Formats: sequence, C-alpha cells, structure tokens
Amino acid sequence: MKKTAAYDQKRRPIKKILNSLLPFVSITCLFLLWFYASNINPDLVPSPASTWERLIQLFVKPVNKMNLFGHVWASLQRVFIALACATVLGVTVGVMIGWSKTFKAIFGTLFELIRPIPPIAWLPIIIMWFGIGEFPKILIVFIGTFMPIVVNTYTGIRLVMPLHLDVARMFNASNRQLLFEVAIPSALPPIFAGIRNATSSGWMTVLAAEMIASKAGLGFLITRGMDYFDVPLILVGMLAIGIVGALLAIITEFIERLLCPWNKKLEQD
Amino acid sequence: MPNDDVKIKVRNLTKYFGDLHVLDNISFDVKKGEFLCVVGPTGCGKTTFLNLLTKLIPPTSGELYINDEPADPKIHNISFAFQEPSAFPWLTVEQNLEFGLKIKNIPKDVIKTRVERIIKLLGLEQFRKSYPHQLSVSSEQRIIIGRSFAMYPDLLLMDEPYGQMDIKMRYYLEDEVIKLWKEFGSTVIFITHNIEEAVYLAERILILSNKPSTIKKEVVVDLPRPRDFTDPKFVEIRKYVTELIKWW
Amino acid sequence: MSMEQKAGTRLIVKDVSKTFYQKKIEPHHVVDKVSLEVKDNEFLVLLGPGHCGKTVLLNIVSGLMPPDEGSVYLDGEKITKPNPKIGMVFQKLGLMPWKTVIENVEIGPKLSGINVKTRRERAEYFIDLVGLKGFENSYPHQLSGGMKQRVGIARAYTNDPEILIMDEPFGQLDAQTRYNMQNEISRISEHEKRTIIFVTNNIEEALYLGDRIILFTECPARVKEIYDIDLKRPRDMIDPEFLRLRKMISNNTDLAL
Repeated sequence: MKKTAAYDQKRRPIKKILNSLLPFVSITCLFLLWFYASNINPDLVPSPASTWERLIQLFVKPVNKMNLFGHVWASLQRVFIALACATVLGVTVGVMIGWSKTFKAIFGTLFELIRPIPPIAWLPIIIMWFGIGEFPKILIVFIGTFMPIVVNTYTGIRLVMPLHLDVARMFNASNRQLLFEVAIPSALPPIFAGIRNATSSGWMTVLAAEMIASKAGLGFLITRGMDYFDVPLILVGMLAIGIVGALLAIITEFIERLLCPWNKKLEQD
Repeated sequence: MPNDDVKIKVRNLTKYFGDLHVLDNISFDVKKGEFLCVVGPTGCGKTTFLNLLTKLIPPTSGELYINDEPADPKIHNISFAFQEPSAFPWLTVEQNLEFGLKIKNIPKDVIKTRVERIIKLLGLEQFRKSYPHQLSVSSEQRIIIGRSFAMYPDLLLMDEPYGQMDIKMRYYLEDEVIKLWKEFGSTVIFITHNIEEAVYLAERILILSNKPSTIKKEVVVDLPRPRDFTDPKFVEIRKYVTELIKWW
Repeated sequence: MSMEQKAGTRLIVKDVSKTFYQKKIEPHHVVDKVSLEVKDNEFLVLLGPGHCGKTVLLNIVSGLMPPDEGSVYLDGEKITKPNPKIGMVFQKLGLMPWKTVIENVEIGPKLSGINVKTRRERAEYFIDLVGLKGFENSYPHQLSGGMKQRVGIARAYTNDPEILIMDEPFGQLDAQTRYNMQNEISRISEHEKRTIIFVTNNIEEALYLGDRIILFTECPARVKEIYDIDLKRPRDMIDPEFLRLRKMISNNTDLAL
C-alpha cells in the first residue's frame, strides 16, 4: 500500500532531473564518437581540437576578407531580406486567397502547381536568368520562404471560427471589419507558425544558394573547404549553421510569444 | 465495526500539489452494491478526488482498498464513465460495448451474453450496428454507461455524466442508471454538482467541503423508488444538503 | 415592408419555417411555421428539448440567416440583416482569444466607430455590473467558464441593444455555476431593463427566469404551449408551486433521446 504511493513520490523528481541531464549526455556521446572517428582517420575527420584551432585561425586570417561572423552575417542578411519580402507578400497573398473566393479561383490551382517545386530546383533557371549576383540568391531564398507563409496564412484565414464572424456580424461589422478585426487576428498564430517554418526553410535554402558561385556566407565557407580539402573549415561551417539555425528557431518563438500573448498552447510549453 | 459487506475502503486520503493542499484526510467506506453520491461546492477538489480513486494520480498519503486489498488496476476492475461522451468513433455500438471485455480477455460467449443483456436493457437493438456519430449525444452517453456496467466493475465511478442534459432527459437517464445498477448490483460512486440529482439517485450522499476538501457530512437518503422531486420529504433533504454546501 | 402591431409588442415572428438541404441526405426540417410575439421589456424564455430548431430560429430572428418562409418584424420593420437594436449572447460565446476582456466587451461600439473614451466608459460600467472588475486586461483563456459567460453578457449589453437574445448561455457550465449565473442574470436584467429572449432546454432555468415561457416541440420546432409565469421574484426553486409548474411543463415536454 504505502509502497506504491511513496515510490511514485520519490521517483518523479529523480526522473525530472534525469530528463534535464539527458541532452548533455547525448551531446557528450556525439563528442566521444567524434574523437573516436578522428583517431581512425584524422584527414577526413579532424579532431575537435583541430576544428577549434581552425575556428581561431579564421579570425586571425579571414577567408575572403571576412571572419566567421562576417560570413554568418552575410548569410543572415540574405535570409532577412528575403524573409521580410516574403512575409509582406506572402501574408497578403495568403489573406487574399483565404478570404476571397474569386482570388482562390484565380490563384489556388496555379499555386498548388508551383508549390511542390523545391527552391533548389529553381536554382539553375534563376542563375541563367539573373546571373550570380546578390539578387538571384535572395530570390531563391524568397521562393523558399514565401510558400510556407502563404500556405499557413491561407489555412489560418480559412479556419477562422464561423462563430467569431457571427459575433462581429451581430454588431453590424462591415466586410472589411470582419477581415481586419476578426479573421486576420485570429489567424495570427498559424501565420507565425508559417513564418517560423519559413525561417528554417530560408536558412537551409540560403546555404544551398551560396554553395554555387558565391564570395561570402556559410555556404561559401563550406564549398571553399571542399575545394581546398580543408575539412576542419567544413566542420566549422557546419557547426555554425547548426548553432545559428537553433538560435533563429528560439528567437522566432520568442517573438511569437511576445506578439500572441493569448496563445495558450505556447504558454503551456 | 467490522463489516463483511464493505467493498471499498478509503483511508486518510490526502493530496498536495506542491504547497496546495487539495484533499485532507478523507476516509469512508462503501458497501457492496451501494449507490453513493458525492457532492461539493464548485472548486472543491472533486476532480483530484476522482483521479485518486481511479488511480490516475498517486495520493500524497492514504490508500484505497478494494475487498481489503490495496486497489490495483491490474487486479481490480475500476470502471469510469467520463463527463464527455467517450465512445470510440471507429467502433459500432456493439463493438463499443464489447471493447473493455475483450481487453480483459473474457471468453467470447460470456461477452456475447453480457452485451446482449445491456443492449436489451437500454433498448438499443436497432442501433447495434450504428456508429456513435449516427446517434444523439445522449444515446452515446448511454452506451458509455452501459459499457461501464458490462465490465462488472468492482467499483464504478461516474463523473457528472448528465451535466449538460435537459431535465426531462436527465430523469430518464437517471432512471436507466438505477435500472442498470439494480440489475448488475454494482458498487457505484457518482460525483455531481447537482444536489437534486444526488438526492434522486443516492442511497447515501457524502458532502465535501471547500479546499482542502474533507468529508463534511454524510446524509442517508432512504426514500422509496421511484422518487418524486415534488415530494416534501425529497424537497426537505434537497434543502438540507443545499444548506450544508452553502455555495451562494 | 411593414406590419401592423399591437401596442407593447416589439418583435413579431410570423409563420417562419426553415429546412436544410444537403446532398444525398434527406432534407432536415428544423423550424415549422413558428409564430410568436415578444413584448416590450419582458423576459421571454423559449424552451425546447434537444438541440433542434431553437438556435436556427434565433439566427433567423437576429438576421444572421434568412427563413425559407415567413418573416420577422422588429417594430414593424422586416428583418433581413443583423440589426444593432438586437444583441446576442452566444451559446459558445465566441470571445476573441486575441482580445483582452475589455477589448472583447467594447467590440460592438468599436465596430460602429464610437470613440475610445465613450466606449471604454460604457464597457467598464458593464464589466463592473457583471462582477468582473479587476479582470479588464485578462485574456479569455485565463478565466473560468462562469467568468467567460459574464464577459459574453457584458459584451452584448455594451452595444446597448434594445432586445437581447441569449442562446442557451449556461449550457456549458456545471450545475452550481449555472445556478449562480441564473441569479446573476436575474439581477442584471432587473437592473438594466431590456427585452430578453432567452433560450434553454432546462425547465428549472426557464421557470426561474421567465415572465413567459414558450414551449417548443422536438424537431421540427413548433410552438407547443405558452405559459404565463406569475411567481413572484426572486423565485425559489423548491417552492411547492415552482415544483408543481416544473412537473406540469415536464410532463408536456417531448423526450428527445
């Protein structure tokens, strides 16, 4: 009798502590594996120590006149510009096809056709059309971020509770007011989810875009590493991609929490 | 006072959530085949109380005994009828009724006779092949309750299953529960906010106090059945219990 | 289009019917030739079993949905779209989760372009009246069921309607909160006299609140009986006369399994 109750009481906190330690354990394991692998073939798998050294060296002797932060910033800049354009345009388009049956009829099918084409597939044609400057790279990232924002905005607008619209109608709201006072605010959480997806998808796309014909950015850094057989540089680039990507996810979630304080789901997390 | 008829013993049940003292030293017995109602003011630890009885959460201290053994979901059969209709939408009425019995590995022919009995008692013959969404909410609730009785539970817990229904319907369903209870001789703990419902159903009513909840009073209801809500004796008990809760 | 009406009558529902048609499913006849009158400043309860018809009838009365046949007249004028004279408390509330309590409450005047100061004042008055002072800046998800219901009521009043429709406003509440809210609505409606049309499936609630009760049949909804309730207020749910009336109405009600 006392056994079950007391047992559970004691076990829970221990389990909690254990669960909060587990991420460190798994990261340590990865490091150990890395050490082990680098012992077997240090040319292909440089040790953590030499990767660290390469990172320091990057600040002492920049690649293409830029240290690591410079390259991170170059990539981020492209993502931000593309994301800003995609948010403005994507939300507008999403709201329009979500709200107006006519717009949906005109653009819906067209959009469904274009949507499955991944941004990378646009790469060749965009390079052929626009060359290898800054604009085509941003354009590719834009394509990768635009789609998730449109889709989420559209779904958010479609899923507005009819009851909320009725409430406003009972107060004699005009069509415009229905859209701006009810539909759009209620769609904000899905729109933000779209922006979050877009950010991560944009981050992936920019790296791919930079791997072809670029002079700055993390993608460029990795390609440069491959060209010069500088494996530690590749690893530095990859680690930077992972860390920046994770930070971006945390920041977007923070902004979402700030702007949608009514969203209960976020609060509970 | 030793009593062979005692089926359920609750002893010193206490629950804290952190510093929040929700239940305080609750002890009571339920006789075999008794219909016990539990009422309390809004915001008393009703849900916690239920969750402790179903063993969904562990108590801080105290224990629940069934047949003098510590209750164990692996040995004992505790059935629970939820407030919200919870029939499986992918099963027919008949399959829903069979569901729990199959999980308990009860022989096929036994399952068949029991399910037949329930279907007949509830008058659901024409709906046996229907899916829950084809029935009304009240009928879905009837299946759930039928399903709980069909388990021959050691303890059947019901959490305000008729909360949202209109009065006429509620009396019909309450009569039906009494019918099932008499037929199966189950031991029932029925939790409700509705004092009239408690007086209509119960042989005995336990009244919980505000948090930290404890048993404030026990009221025996020995009115003949079927009961009449306009009967002065009925009104008197209802008034008495209401006074004790004093939520306004 | 207008219609003659007796003095003291605000709203007339005349021979209203509604049927829903869906592909491959039999037509669903939900409202059948319903006629009724609503008097000025009365508390009228529409009582009916089950879920059929009543909400649809309300949507027709409020102008959210057109009837197939018949018409609804407010002060002699035919209703074809939502009218600011009619306010509504919805069963499922429809509070906007992205708005705070006060923003929810002031939405009516805001949509009709009334300035911030005036609408805030009015909203605050009704928030106070429903007993939510101190919660103005909370979000709906931070409130209990009964409190949300109070927000819904304050919202309807703040738009200053002459006729208030309440669609089973307490259907989702537990029994005790429900009793509490019945007391509250009785108090608020005494304080702020309005014509109220209150829909419920709960006979006890109907008797507790109504000056008049119109009893409907199970689907399709038809007027079955009209009761004038002369019990003095505040009413007592265990008064023998109250219980007698309750039993009488209950015996006259269809069972909707």
